[in-house]
Amino acid sequence: MSISDTSPGTPRTWQRFKFPGSLYRYFGLLFALVFLAFSVVYLNIPLERFIGMFGRIGSVIADRYYPPDLEYIRDADYLSSVFDTIQMAYLGALFGMIIALPLGWFGSYNMSPNRRFIYPVARLFTMSARAVHETIWAILFVTILGFGMLAGILALTMFCIGFAGKLLAEEIEGIDMGPVEAIRATGAGELAVMVYGVFPQVRVAFTGIGIYTWDVAFRAATVVGFFGAGGMGWYLKRNVLQIETQRVAAILLSIVVLVLLSEAASAWARARVAKAK
Amino acid sequence: MSLTADNDTRVEEIIAARTKGRINRSILYGVVFLAVLWSLKTTVVDDTDWERMGSVWEVLASIGEFLKVDWALLPQLWQPALETILVATLGTLLGVLTCIPAIWFGALNISPFPPITYPIARLMMTLSRSIHEIVWALFFVASVGLGALAGVLAIAVRSIGFIAKMSAEAIEDLDPRPVEAIRAVGGSEFQVFLYAILPQVLPAMISVIIFEWEINIRRSSVLGLVGAGGLGLVFFRQLNTFNHGGVTAVIIAILVLILFGEIISYFTRKAMI
Repeated sequence: MSISDTSPGTPRTWQRFKFPGSLYRYFGLLFALVFLAFSVVYLNIPLERFIGMFGRIGSVIADRYYPPDLEYIRDADYLSSVFDTIQMAYLGALFGMIIALPLGWFGSYNMSPNRRFIYPVARLFTMSARAVHETIWAILFVTILGFGMLAGILALTMFCIGFAGKLLAEEIEGIDMGPVEAIRATGAGELAVMVYGVFPQVRVAFTGIGIYTWDVAFRAATVVGFFGAGGMGWYLKRNVLQIETQRVAAILLSIVVLVLLSEAASAWARARVAKAK
Repeated sequence: MSLTADNDTRVEEIIAARTKGRINRSILYGVVFLAVLWSLKTTVVDDTDWERMGSVWEVLASIGEFLKVDWALLPQLWQPALETILVATLGTLLGVLTCIPAIWFGALNISPFPPITYPIARLMMTLSRSIHEIVWALFFVASVGLGALAGVLAIAVRSIGFIAKMSAEAIEDLDPRPVEAIRAVGGSEFQVFLYAILPQVLPAMISVIIFEWEINIRRSSVLGLVGAGGLGLVFFRQLNTFNHGGVTAVIIAILVLILFGEIISYFTRKAMI
């Protein structure tokens, strides 16, 4: 009996997924395909355009965007707008961080002064600031306050509140509660606990977040001008509307270079801050 | 005796260093403060059209315009909201497909020929991350025409950077032993990828993709501003007809959409882990 059992019966092939699992997998795939077909039909995406698309994009770049008009971005007006953009990003990140600091405190579950009321309000505020896209903020502030860099700075401030507020709150939620309890045990108030128990633990991380916020704000600042909020975005919009594609290419090139520079600067500064810890 | 004298000089040295540090620091803070003041002067004071803005009351009045929410618009927002979500989803999927070569080239341990392929992958990631989605959308609207396709492509290209960077980092950190095991039994490069690399990085990749999807909803809600469909188009129309209450209604719809995305991503991530 035992010998006959080991004799090969029907040859079995190896399968990666066993019976019920494989069925679920097929259903998942089917569902995904149906969803894909539905969304392509719903969005009226012309699939036949996909075939020639890459060739056409290539020829569009080669015919219209090349060569970039490098003279244009060496113009003094444009360079001063680049400088404005940097200032805007700097101020937006600064104000955003200043407002995000208390929001991060109120919006962290472990340190919030009042979990029932202040915590959800701070969370909701940060979430809405983050959920609304920076271009929408720019448009709103331009509509209310008029064209100019003030609208851009405020839009970037809202953007940075959303961006930094979440990171700061998460950072505070990750602290070691020992020092906090020690300072609470001495009878210190909430603010004193924050300053002496929490802040020394998150100081380095906060500096890193601040630098990173500036970096991200600069990337956003390159386009808020597109909707009239100052900076180099305005040059971009003007040239897009005038179909000066070679100048657009030059501006895009300058944006890429500037973003690379700002990324390198922020990486260097963050590494230095982390080392100084 | 000499020990205490030694100690005293050392204490004095430390105190001197501390004062020096404090002076340096206050000079630095002063410079930063002056730079902020100067930037405020050039950007805000000089560049703002104060007459256009009017008094505080006029500003408050124009904010009040926005607060009269046009609730009647909300039922018309279903279709553009669905469009926005679909654009975000398709864009993320297409982004995942297009970022496969970037991941393959960009992870140093599996990059086929690092001196050439690694910089190519890095260039793809940087281009995708440094150019804003609005600019990408403009470019694709110019080359494939108005409509959702331009939005999907813009979202896809914009997603490459983040997904590829995170996934390449995950692959660089993976455990090399399963890879060696599959190689040792004679697996081809593709089989090594399918059976040794993918199972290790899949959880990390899926959570990155869900995160990116959440961000992409936010992005696709504004692409309509430059002609790529969805809620942004409604926003643009409401703004240009000066129906400021309608603008607020669209913003509320966007908020609801984002909340929905966050809830879905929270539960999916919980189910995955």
